[in-house]
Amino acid sequence: MGGIRLGCECEVTDRQKDQVIILGIETSCDETSAAILVNGTDLCSHVISSQIMTHQKYGGVVPEIASREHSLHFQPVVQQALDEAKVGFHDLSAIAVTYGPGLVGSLLVGVSGAKAMAYAAGIPLIGINHLEGHIYANFLHNKDIEFPFLALLVSGGHTHLILFEAHGQYRVLGQTRDDAAGEALDKVARTLGLGYPGGPKIQKVAEEGNAQAFKFPRAMLEPTSLDFSFSGMKSAVLNTLNSANMRGETLSVPDLAASFQQAVVDVLVRKALMAIDQTGVKTLLLAGGVAANNLLRETLSKTLVERNIRLVSPPPLFCTDNGAMIAVAGYYHYLAKDYAPWTLNAVPGLGLV
Amino acid sequence: MKYLTIDTTTKVTAVALAEDGRLIAEGFLHTAKTHSERLVPMLEQLLTASDWTLQELNMIGVVRGPGSFTGIRIGIATAQGLAQVLKLPMIGVVSLDALAWAGLGRTEDIVPILDARKNEWYTARYHWMQGEEKVDCLTPPQALSTDRCLEYLKDLERPICFVGDAVTKAKGRILEVLGENAVILPDYVSLPRGAYTVRAVWQRWQELSIGEQVRPYYIRFSEAEVNWAKKEEARRKQEEGYKGHE
Ligand SMILES: [Zn+2]
Repeated sequence: MGGIRLGCECEVTDRQKDQVIILGIETSCDETSAAILVNGTDLCSHVISSQIMTHQKYGGVVPEIASREHSLHFQPVVQQALDEAKVGFHDLSAIAVTYGPGLVGSLLVGVSGAKAMAYAAGIPLIGINHLEGHIYANFLHNKDIEFPFLALLVSGGHTHLILFEAHGQYRVLGQTRDDAAGEALDKVARTLGLGYPGGPKIQKVAEEGNAQAFKFPRAMLEPTSLDFSFSGMKSAVLNTLNSANMRGETLSVPDLAASFQQAVVDVLVRKALMAIDQTGVKTLLLAGGVAANNLLRETLSKTLVERNIRLVSPPPLFCTDNGAMIAVAGYYHYLAKDYAPWTLNAVPGLGLV
Repeated sequence: MKYLTIDTTTKVTAVALAEDGRLIAEGFLHTAKTHSERLVPMLEQLLTASDWTLQELNMIGVVRGPGSFTGIRIGIATAQGLAQVLKLPMIGVVSLDALAWAGLGRTEDIVPILDARKNEWYTARYHWMQGEEKVDCLTPPQALSTDRCLEYLKDLERPICFVGDAVTKAKGRILEVLGENAVILPDYVSLPRGAYTVRAVWQRWQELSIGEQVRPYYIRFSEAEVNWAKKEEARRKQEEGYKGHE
């Protein structure tokens, strides 16, 4: 397994009684991850065991193989997180675990293990919505984020605009009606022969391309809608490729990648601005795997500075799936005494209410 | 020595508390709910009812397959989570070995059959060793088509006692092929029970007298791996074919 050792910002010594120490666990897709977080911002350890290499030859995540990998790596990953933070189970205030959305078999490894650990240690179990976790990754380095704020969550499975009124109080304003932004990037990457995972590969190739070379459509839907649609944009790329093939022409892959990436980012930014105008919020949080995309980050930051809107985004490491974000979300649930029962089950299709 | 056993490899959630191979408490749920919903609450109830605490336990035993892939992982993740916190040794046993204890004292061969879907069973063959008070494995665990399994057993021409979660559904077919050589036990005997796991775990603990690292035992590869291997095989053959023409 590839247990990655990540930055250790503190060591839990001289433990005070008022310290809240959360073990966060994430196994919803293809990363087995665990983190120890003190008082919401001190990340004492963070272990991520990625399965990307295992799934690469299949061209995407294979659910049964992902579950098998989690089953083998779960226990050592948790132990490594505890050891690096120099804490034991009995120092913990609670254990937070992702219970959805995600792959059911993978989720169940984390939920079952976390539940048994919390039960044996006699501490609360906290069930975390993975999507909420992504957004809460922002609170790790910015405890001062003010409500209300807007969150733009962009990943391989989700494209959501969410309004947060307070901790635990949120409302989805818009979401994708077909493909998620990351999914569209993945599919186009596959068609262009760039491989998996697609997002980072497109970004890399696009650096050498001209984003104005192709005019792909920007699907905006109804005038006031905050929903997204990326499948038509994706089809436009495929059609362009097909008709070039029929004419016997070869198109520039960097140009195609750059133009498609630009189209996706344009739509995301425009919709985010619409949502800001409609709600009047002063802060936008970026979250999810696609939040690591440089073009998206730069475009948003430029546009929002002009409007005096605060943009918060996690460092790229905390954009992909990780245990730290689950621990951060767990910390706020812990403060609200929002604990899960021992009957907690995995909910693969869990949404944001 | 006090220990806990967990079996979630079939649709039955089976938990038991035991001391030195002797059953103390047993939980059996064959309801529509999931293992995830039933397992820890059942453990909590058993502990309370028996006046035991987790801290008194000396070892944890778990059934590691074959059976439902997801069930196998839920059982192991739960047992590991408890063992990790309580710092206890673990023992892993094979589902079919545990089920063989349903045939305690029988003179026929004992054949557990577990539903493996796709018209297959996870199966093995055992014999109860009179005097030694344990089971002996005659045919090792495998995933076998139901027809091939029954043909194989028929050719043995000896009485066979069937146990396992596939028995109820296959009863008619078993009697048809094996006739008088087939012995069918009622489902409350032949479904996975904590009582059987308790014995299988104790037997293994006495053999090892130390804990072990427990890994899932699936028997089968995942479908994606099987398909990928097939594709690779085809590609390799094609390449060899080309070489042959050169
Ligand atoms: Zn995610």
